[in-house]
Amino acid sequence: MRRFYLFGFLLLMAFDTLAQISFKVAGSQALPVQASVAWLLRVFGQPWIYGAVVGYVGAFFTWMALLKHAPIGPAFAASHLEVVSVMLLSIWLFDEHLTVARVLGAIAIIAGIVCLGLAESREQPPDDEPAPARV
Amino acid sequence: MTGSLSTLVVGLWLLNIVLDTTGQLAFKAAAGDSDAGDGLARWKHMAARPWLWLGIGCYAVEFLVWIAFLSLIPLSEGVLLGSINIVAIMLAGRLLFGEKLTRLRVIGIALVTLGVAIVGLGG
Repeated sequence: MRRFYLFGFLLLMAFDTLAQISFKVAGSQALPVQASVAWLLRVFGQPWIYGAVVGYVGAFFTWMALLKHAPIGPAFAASHLEVVSVMLLSIWLFDEHLTVARVLGAIAIIAGIVCLGLAESREQPPDDEPAPARV
Repeated sequence: MTGSLSTLVVGLWLLNIVLDTTGQLAFKAAAGDSDAGDGLARWKHMAARPWLWLGIGCYAVEFLVWIAFLSLIPLSEGVLLGSINIVAIMLAGRLLFGEKLTRLRVIGIALVTLGVAIVGLGG
């Protein structure tokens, strides 16, 4: 069963990461940002936007499947840890840099997410609690 | 926020928070309605009320706002700044649904907020 959770969390992270990377590429190719039909056509006119849709839909169903079995706390924490994979991939794919502020900020955010995950675990058994917000 | 983030970027970031939080709360209101029944009847009940549609509408607009936001800043910075949505939703849940803020939750919220502030101010 532990292997099932681990696989589920990794799959969730992969879908979330795919969505964020796709959003970035789709947005970058549609620049400049405008509140106009032309911008919308540029966004939906190239394939990456559909990568974002696949990532979102995949993440949603993986999340729902995980919640049936996995404890809510670790599931909550794992569902937000894609910030790590997205940051690392951004360096490789988009030549971004890990600034000191980003590294320190990421450490604080991850520590916060782990605390929130622990808080969910302590609260009540998973059966009583509705699915927490996915962001 | 510093000069490193333009007014447009900050505006899109704030709009994303509002849309995400409103969407989540609308879904919560739709799903938490105790008169709703089960199965297909439950979906019909939800479809006849505004909450589900408000949630879907918020998410559709948020999708576009997030694309615009990410196209203007580095992705590694964008995903970190987006973590603030977790905090906004927890605080809104507390205000509107009376959800408990235990000590561990307060610590978690403070740490996420601190992290977002560091990234926002430092770039």
